[in-house]
Amino acid sequence: MPDQASAQAPMSAALRRALLLAPALIFLAVFFVMPLVDNSARSFIAEDGGFTLSRYGAFLTDRFYLGVIAETVILSAVVTAVSVVIAYPVAYVLVRKAGRLSGLIVFLLIAPLLTSIIMRTFGWQVLFARRGLVNQWLVTDLGLLDAPLRWLNTPGLAIAALVHVLVPFAVLSIASVLQGVDRRLEEGALMLGASRFRTFLEVTLPLTTDGIGTGAILVFMIANGSFVTLVLLGGGFQTLPLLIYQQFNTTRDFALASTMSTVLLVIALACLWLQLRLVRRQGV
Amino acid sequence: MRLSDIALWLFTIAFFVFMILPIAVVVVISFTSAGYAAFPIPGWSLQWFARIFEYQPFLDSLWVSLKLAVVATVLSCLLGIPAALYLARARSGWAMAITTFLLSPLSMPMIVIGFASLFFLSWLGFGVSFLSLAVVHTVICLPYVVRTCAAVYRAVPPAYEEAAQILGASRFTTFREVTLPLIRPGIAAGSLFSFLTSFDNLPVSYFFGSAQTNTLPVVMLAYMEHQFDPSIAALSTLQLALAVIALVVADRLYGIEKMTVAA
Amino acid sequence: MKLNRRNFIGTGMAATGLLGLSGLPLRAQGKTLNVTAYGGVWEQAVRDCFVAPFEAKTGATATVSLGGPAQWLAQVEANPEAPPLDVLIMSPDLAVLAAESGLMDDFTVEKLPNLAHIPQEFTDACLGKGTYFDYGVGGITYNKQVVADPPRSFADFVERVAAGEFVASVPSIQYGPTTVFFLWALNNALGGDVENTDPFFEAMAKMKDNLVFWAGPNDFFNHLSSGEADLGIYFDGRTWNHVDEGVDWIDFINPSEGGAMTAVAIQKPKHASDLAWDYLNEVLDAGNQAKFAEILNYGVTNTQVQYSEKLAARVTPLSEAKLPPYADIARVRADWVDRWNREIGM
Repeated sequence: MPDQASAQAPMSAALRRALLLAPALIFLAVFFVMPLVDNSARSFIAEDGGFTLSRYGAFLTDRFYLGVIAETVILSAVVTAVSVVIAYPVAYVLVRKAGRLSGLIVFLLIAPLLTSIIMRTFGWQVLFARRGLVNQWLVTDLGLLDAPLRWLNTPGLAIAALVHVLVPFAVLSIASVLQGVDRRLEEGALMLGASRFRTFLEVTLPLTTDGIGTGAILVFMIANGSFVTLVLLGGGFQTLPLLIYQQFNTTRDFALASTMSTVLLVIALACLWLQLRLVRRQGV
Repeated sequence: MRLSDIALWLFTIAFFVFMILPIAVVVVISFTSAGYAAFPIPGWSLQWFARIFEYQPFLDSLWVSLKLAVVATVLSCLLGIPAALYLARARSGWAMAITTFLLSPLSMPMIVIGFASLFFLSWLGFGVSFLSLAVVHTVICLPYVVRTCAAVYRAVPPAYEEAAQILGASRFTTFREVTLPLIRPGIAAGSLFSFLTSFDNLPVSYFFGSAQTNTLPVVMLAYMEHQFDPSIAALSTLQLALAVIALVVADRLYGIEKMTVAA
Repeated sequence: MKLNRRNFIGTGMAATGLLGLSGLPLRAQGKTLNVTAYGGVWEQAVRDCFVAPFEAKTGATATVSLGGPAQWLAQVEANPEAPPLDVLIMSPDLAVLAAESGLMDDFTVEKLPNLAHIPQEFTDACLGKGTYFDYGVGGITYNKQVVADPPRSFADFVERVAAGEFVASVPSIQYGPTTVFFLWALNNALGGDVENTDPFFEAMAKMKDNLVFWAGPNDFFNHLSSGEADLGIYFDGRTWNHVDEGVDWIDFINPSEGGAMTAVAIQKPKHASDLAWDYLNEVLDAGNQAKFAEILNYGVTNTQVQYSEKLAARVTPLSEAKLPPYADIARVRADWVDRWNREIGM
C-alpha cells in the first residue's frame, strides 16, 4: 500500500478506517437499540419493581400463545416459499430473456413498491368483493362458476396480498445474483451433452442459491413484522405483530406488548443469524 | 422461440397482471365522478384531484412528508455511505456481524420501533417534534443505503483506487474523483428506497403525529376513518405519479437496471 | 416503575450529550393551543364549530392535530410534564384510563361554565376528569334492498343470523370500541353483565358460520355495498352520513334492548395551557354543539341544544340508549379481549 501511515502503523490505519463505521454504529446504538432495550425492560420489571421472568414463563407455556408464535412463523414461511417460487422464473426472464425490455420489467417490479399500502389493500378489496370484478369475470363473463365465491377474509387472499407486497424483493435479490453467474459454465454443460433442463437444475440453480437465500430471508423478515395488510384484509390469522398492535390499540397492556416484541425480536435475530451464515458462505 | 421460453414469458406476463391490477383499479377509481369509492365507475371526473388541493391538511402534511423524506435520506447517506465503504471491503466475521446489525431495523415491526422511540426520545427531551421524526425515520432508512452502497462498492475492484493513489492522488481526491462516481448508482438506488420508505411510513409517523408534524399517510388514515371518499384514491394516484417521475429521472441518470442491487 | 425502567438500561449514557438538544422540540409557544380531532368531516366540523369561536373570543390561535386517542394518550404519557397536546379527544374507555393514571385535570363548573348544562353522569363516567360532548349509538344497520323485514332487537338479530337468514358484518376485535358497543351491548341484551360474558360468546359461536368481520368503519360499508353482508352492527350517525352522501338503500335500527351509547370524551392534560379551558367551554356550548351535530349527524350532550327537525328524527334519544359502565369495563377489558382472541380469533 502506498499509504505512508499504514506502512508505519498498520493498526492506526485500520482504526482510522474503522472510524468510518462510528457514526452509523453510534447512531443506531442510541436511537435503535436503546429505545428497544428501554421498551423491553417493561417486560422484565414486576409490579413491585423487581426483576422478573414470569411474563415470559406465562407466555411461553400458554398453548394459545405458542400457537400464535407457530402461526406467525408458518405464515411468514408460506409467504416466503410462494414468493421465491414465483420470483425465480421472473428473475430468470429479467436477466436472460428480456434484453431491451429489462428496464421496463425492473420498472414494473419497483412501481408497486412505490404505492401506499392503503391503496393496494383497497385495490384487493374492490377486485375480490362478492360482487367484485373477479367474481364477475368468473360467473358472468366466463361462466366458470354458478355462484360468486367468497374471497375476502380468506387466508388465501391475505397470503396473496402479502406476496404481492414482498415478491419484488425476492425477484430483485435473485436477479442480482443471476446476473453474476458465468454463462460459460452453462454453455460448457450444454456442450458436454446435458439437456437444457438438466443444465439449469445442476448448474444454474446451485449457482444462484445465495440469491434465493438472501431473497427468502429478506421476505421472511419483513413478513414476520408486517401487520397492516392483515389488519385491513383479515384472513383469520393471529400473529404476533397483530397481537402487539392490539395491545397498543385496544388493551394497552404494554408489558404484554413488550413481552411479545422481545419474542418476535428473537425470531428476527435468529433469521439474521441465518443470513449471516449464508452471506459468509458467499464471501468464501 | 422454444416452448419453454413461451411458457416463461406467459408466466411473467401473468405475474405482472397480478402485480399491476390492484393498483390499476385504484388509479381508475381516483378519476370517478361518483361521491363514493366503488368499481366500476359511473363516469370520469377530476373532482377528487381538485379536492386534494382544497383540503389544507393534505397539503400541509404532504409538505411535512417531503421535507422529512429528504432529511432522513440525507442523514442516512451521511451515516450509511462511510459505513458501507468500510463494510464492503471487510472480510472478518465481526464485520459481517456489524453489517447484520446495521440492517436489523428492517426486521423489527415498525409499530414497536415507533412506540419505543416515542417514550425514549421524549425522555431525552426531543418530544413530539420534527427532529424526533427525522431521527426515527433515519433509523428505518439507513439499512437501505448501507445495503445498496455496500453491494455496489463490493463489485468495484480495489485496483481503481490503488491506481489513483499510485498516480499521486490524495486520499480525498481519490474518494471524490474515483470512488464516489463508481458507487453513485448505489447511492441513487439507496436514496430512492430510503426516500420512498420514509414517504410511505405509517406506523412510526403515527406516534409522532401533531398539528405540525403529521405526515401524509397519517392524515390519509385519519381522513379515511371518518370520510371514505375517492380523494384517498386520488392522493394515492398522485403519490404513484410522483414516484414514477422519480424513477424515470433515476433511469435517465443511472439506468434503472442498476436498481436491482437495491435488493 | 418509570425510574426502574430507566435504571435498567444503566442511566442514560448517551443521554447526557443529547440533553443539550432538548431546547429543540418544536412546541408552539405563546398563545397557541394544540387541540385534537378525528379526520375528514370531523376535523372540518371541529374547526368551524369550536376553533373559530375560540379564536374569535380569545384572540389566540389553535392548531388541530389529526389522529386517534391511543396515539394521543401515548404522547401525553411520554411527556407528562410538557404534554404536546392541550385538549384531548378520547374514547370513553381510554378517558377512564387517562383519568385513573392521574394525567388529567378535574372538570369543574368554575373553570367551565357550560359544564352546568351537561348531564352530571357524563362527567362522572370520566371520573370527574373530563366529560362527553357528542355521542352515537351502536345498533343494526341493514341493506333495505336485501332485507325486507330486519331484526328489531339484538336477540332477534342473533337468532336469525344463527339460522342463516342473513350474513352479518360485525366489528372485529382490532377495532377499539368493539368491546363496548358490540361485546358489552350484545352481552347485556342477552342477559349477561360485566362479570359474565358467556351469553355473548355463546351467541357468537351460534352465528359463526354467517359472520364477516370489519376492521374499520369503511370495511362495513364496503361489505354492505359489495354484497359481502346483508346487515351488521354499526353506528347511527355513520349510517346517516352515508344517506347524505346519496346512498339510498341503507337504514339503521336501534335495537329494542337499547344500543350502547358510544360517546366522545374531552379531557385536558395536567400542565397543558390554561387556554384549554376557554376552548373546552366552546366545545360544551349549546349553539356550537348544535352546529356540530348538524354536520356529523350525531347527538350532542348539552341539554339546551335544540335539534333541527331532520336531525331530531335521526338522533337516538339518550333515554333509548344505554350508557355502558366504562369504568367497570376498563377493569375487565383485557380479559374480554383475551377470551375473544382465544375463542373467536381476530
